Amino acid sequence: MTNRTYNILFHTHTVSGIIISVGLYIIFFAGSFSFFRDEIISWERNEPVIEKGFGNANFNTMMDSLDETHSTYGRDISFTKYFEERRLSLNLTPSKDSTVQQDASGREFFYMDMDSQNTYDYASNYSIGEFLYRLHFLAQLNFYGSSGYLLAGTIAFFFLFAIITGTLVHWKKIVSNFFIFRPKARLKNIWTDAHTALGVIGLPFQFIYAVTGVFFIIATAIVAPPVISIVYEGNSEKMFEDLGVATKDFPLAMEKPETTPNLNSFVQKTESYWPDFNIEKVTFYNFGDENMHVGVEGSPQYGKQFIGRGELIFNAGTGEIVSEKNPFENTSYVDGVTGIMERLHFGDYGGLGLKIVYFILGIISCFVIISGILIWLVARDKKHIAEKKRKFNAWMGWSFIAICLTMYPATAFTFVAVKLFIYDFDPERMTSIYQIFFYSWLILILLFTLKKDNFFTNKYTLILGAILGLMIPIANGLISGNWFWKTFTKEYYDIFFVDIFWMTLAIITFIVGIRLKRINEDSRTSLKSVSE
Amino acid sequence: MPANKKYLTKSKSQRFAKISAGLIGGYLVMESLHIALAFWVNHVHVLMTLRFGGFILWSALLILAFLAENGWKIWAIYLLLTLLFSILIYFGKSYNPII
Repeated sequence: MTNRTYNILFHTHTVSGIIISVGLYIIFFAGSFSFFRDEIISWERNEPVIEKGFGNANFNTMMDSLDETHSTYGRDISFTKYFEERRLSLNLTPSKDSTVQQDASGREFFYMDMDSQNTYDYASNYSIGEFLYRLHFLAQLNFYGSSGYLLAGTIAFFFLFAIITGTLVHWKKIVSNFFIFRPKARLKNIWTDAHTALGVIGLPFQFIYAVTGVFFIIATAIVAPPVISIVYEGNSEKMFEDLGVATKDFPLAMEKPETTPNLNSFVQKTESYWPDFNIEKVTFYNFGDENMHVGVEGSPQYGKQFIGRGELIFNAGTGEIVSEKNPFENTSYVDGVTGIMERLHFGDYGGLGLKIVYFILGIISCFVIISGILIWLVARDKKHIAEKKRKFNAWMGWSFIAICLTMYPATAFTFVAVKLFIYDFDPERMTSIYQIFFYSWLILILLFTLKKDNFFTNKYTLILGAILGLMIPIANGLISGNWFWKTFTKEYYDIFFVDIFWMTLAIITFIVGIRLKRINEDSRTSLKSVSE
Repeated sequence: MPANKKYLTKSKSQRFAKISAGLIGGYLVMESLHIALAFWVNHVHVLMTLRFGGFILWSALLILAFLAENGWKIWAIYLLLTLLFSILIYFGKSYNPII
């Protein structure tokens, strides 16, 4: 590589990296916690999930209780289980019967508890798990249309750019520098060693996240417009049909059958038809009509097969299968790509152990971002640089580091405060979680930025986060009575996990925090850097 | 350690040309290439690939634009490539129409 190429790549890596740093840190930090979204939600609501999948969901009782509050005839009603929690998402289309009363003429979306049949709208179903999950694609910044998603997608794209340029810059020393760690050297060398070594370890993981992240959040919005106008001549529905996201439509017979079928029978039939099938969605098309159909969708259990998408459609009256898409054979390219992107991004194909590995790699990526910011700072803290510029850089460093590192105590504080003070599942819940997280984060950012000391920020955010983190299992025990030794014996492993997870995290960060000592730069000799 | 300034682009117009060539020109090349392919091989597969592979290609084109000696030249190259793919799209549309 010529000197010119090296320096240009280096510069583009630096500039793209420093611009996206804070946003990317927020995405990785919130995203890492989102691996445990379902466990966090079980913990927060004190609703352990024992049966995975649809478990013993009783569609007859769920539809009966839905019938009391909603008119259901002639609508397409779907029950979706996106996550392992007790509450299912319900989607109701408008009734196809044009003579129907007003209240069934619109679309509806809400959640229903499989066990208690209680329903919740979006805001009252809100949770810390949902909050962190949505924060990781910056949904809270959707002030203008989907501006937050667009920002998250742009960050992901430049992350991809920074990964490629970073790898190219580091290419020649990728092996030789991998084993170099000089804890006694100057700070700049420590940050560089950490940045490159951990960057190389996390490289496949980070590349996966850049690509899958772009794929999920903005890919279609960015690439589709020319494709729709040129390939499909404006017919966007045809494109979505090709990409496998079209909705089915069955005509309404406008007659009600004499007997209502047992709604659970379709799930049971599917389970015996494909024993290794994981049901994710059950749809009742034309509910309560003579021409009612039932669709059961899902994918193979990951232990059996990595990707695949399947569906059975039953005629509700006769109970016969009218259409079948086998998930175990002939997986199409479209389903294959979607499946691989989802599995790799969600990390849900290998149980809790794999999610812990993913979490650690996610936090390593956070560390790579922080060390990148610190290299940027140290490299520019030179005597020959104008005083004004140095001042600006220093303030930028203090605030960037404060924004990133205070996320840890702010998150821990949110867990404690929500557990202690927010009991009700009413629409206020969403606002309360927003306020608790964003105000505590804002205050911490201001305090630590104004302290103007990155060492202090590092040490005390870890210790503060650890103290708050240790309070999480205590708060849970006091409020719910489900202390972690009790949840263990009751086999509420998801709730147990969150308590133990926070204790582990708190103990590690506490030990690291109190052992941190300020380094006196002047006492250190500048070792000849291998990178020069 | 910051990159040696002697190798970086100093002229404002050149910098603008390179950044715009990488972002806009790169996008045009990526889209036209995939749309052209869509008319000649299985279009559903190509469009699915575009949704992730397209971005890897785009970032590579962005890097190439930064490495170019002359920003306007790289603009010309990207526009020529787009033109070439557009011709393929034109013939693809008449010989293998999708709709």
